[in-house]
Amino acid sequence: MNAEELAFLSCAEQGRLIRERRLSPVELVQVYLDRIRRWDGKLRSYITVCEESALREARAAEAEIAKGRYRGPLHGLPYGVKDQIHVKGVPTTLGTRVLRPEEMMPDHDATVIERLREQGAILLGKHNLHEFGKGGTIDFPYGQPRNPWNLAHTPSSSSSGSGIAPAAGLCSFALGEDTGGSIRGPASCNGVVGMRPTYGRVSRYGGVMESYTSDTIGPLTRTVADCALVLEAIAGHDPRDPLSSARPVPRYVDHLRSDLRGMTLAVVREIAWARHVHPEVVDAMRRAIAVLRDLGAAVEEVSLPYVKFAVPLQLLTADADVATMFLRKYLRTRWDAFDRGTRTRLAAACLVPATVYNRAMRARVIVRRQVLDALRVYDGLLSPTTVTPPKRIEAMQEKVESVEDVATRLIERRISTYPFSLSNVPTISVPAGFSTDGLPLALQIAGRPFGEAVVLRIAHAYEQATPWHTRHPDLSRTAA
Amino acid sequence: MTLTKEQVTTLAAVQGLVIPEDELENVAIRLSSWLTAMEQVEEALGAEMDRTDPIAPVYPKEDF
Repeated sequence: MNAEELAFLSCAEQGRLIRERRLSPVELVQVYLDRIRRWDGKLRSYITVCEESALREARAAEAEIAKGRYRGPLHGLPYGVKDQIHVKGVPTTLGTRVLRPEEMMPDHDATVIERLREQGAILLGKHNLHEFGKGGTIDFPYGQPRNPWNLAHTPSSSSSGSGIAPAAGLCSFALGEDTGGSIRGPASCNGVVGMRPTYGRVSRYGGVMESYTSDTIGPLTRTVADCALVLEAIAGHDPRDPLSSARPVPRYVDHLRSDLRGMTLAVVREIAWARHVHPEVVDAMRRAIAVLRDLGAAVEEVSLPYVKFAVPLQLLTADADVATMFLRKYLRTRWDAFDRGTRTRLAAACLVPATVYNRAMRARVIVRRQVLDALRVYDGLLSPTTVTPPKRIEAMQEKVESVEDVATRLIERRISTYPFSLSNVPTISVPAGFSTDGLPLALQIAGRPFGEAVVLRIAHAYEQATPWHTRHPDLSRTAA
Repeated sequence: MTLTKEQVTTLAAVQGLVIPEDELENVAIRLSSWLTAMEQVEEALGAEMDRTDPIAPVYPKEDF
């Protein structure tokens, strides 16, 4: 097996080779370091590469496994994490020029990092992101992240590097953070799997998580089975996150099946068939529905008329929560250091009256109730993850100069993902084809609170019945 | 609701924030958009909002 083939193996396959001592973690780390050196100058998925510590940890893993102390399926696997999540001794840049170097250095690990370390996973580096994990950054301090399928197009936001790196074979898996769609968007646009777990399923401790009603940490992987493995490793109660759930964590991989007999799914009419959905996305959605029916699921349609309110409600309230933190610390005194897209967005959020915020929170409850009522009837809700194929980078920047820009630059890319962020239900994005230009398209599946096992089962069955997860970008053509 | 740049300047001053002249239009468009959207939300859901507590969905306790 050559280095390219190794780089694109799933975590499950890499883990099996490591367990059987047919692959050394040192060799695997070296494969990724070489590829990062070769390709990431153009892709810009990493901000920090932890070469020295990764090789040290890989040698330790190799020695441990040789002594028969195999920790589990992630032992020896190199991963990257969105640079919004703390790793002791490694800067958390948050993709901004606002922070001074001494303000970037954390003195503790996030809980998810601790848990992956206990499982023997190896931190390869920290991934590029939109400033402070917000979308719409115009000028990236650590380089413009680019879509590995076509460098002129967006890798989506805000966990951009965490979508690019697994897609381009620059790590075994990644962790992202999703407030509105920041895991699912990059998963969709880069052609990988990405899951936003139920709020409370994964500890937020050690992440810079200022949208306290919506922020979640979750995996981005090349397969659904890998997503199940990583989620199981990072999920569970954490006393340091008072909003984390004490519910037991299932063995998610045990729930994966190749058929969907007995399941009833529903396409959300207002998202999937809306006027603004690109015709190629509509076609991909119709093909996905046919596959799901072939797998034994009953697929119906459901109308959720309130989801059209999700974007303004979620943006208004979540941004106001973030602005509350940033106004005092940075916005008043470091305005010029912010990216223009971020500071204008946060400034607007600072000015939302408390009375409007309160009314928006009431409306969020009502919209969420409609989504949850549908999930009492259906095992999963279906929609495209993004309503257009990945656009050119320039078209996704938050240059708001007219009311039309609000629709095309602020609202359109969030229409599919925000209803489920607002509802805080588990939602996955899984590859569902390619546009005629060769850019990835994706299916989004939302499930009941703490119903990750069912969501993963639906996504896995769909994935295994389709070829999309087996395709990888040809960097020698796109990034040469 | 369409806010003027002058109104945005005044609102920002209340928050101790000085927004440069060349970015006021951007902030005004954003804030006006959210306030207009909330007018539409009120029209559709206002009565139900009056009967609903604004509880953040951070403890998903629904019976699933």
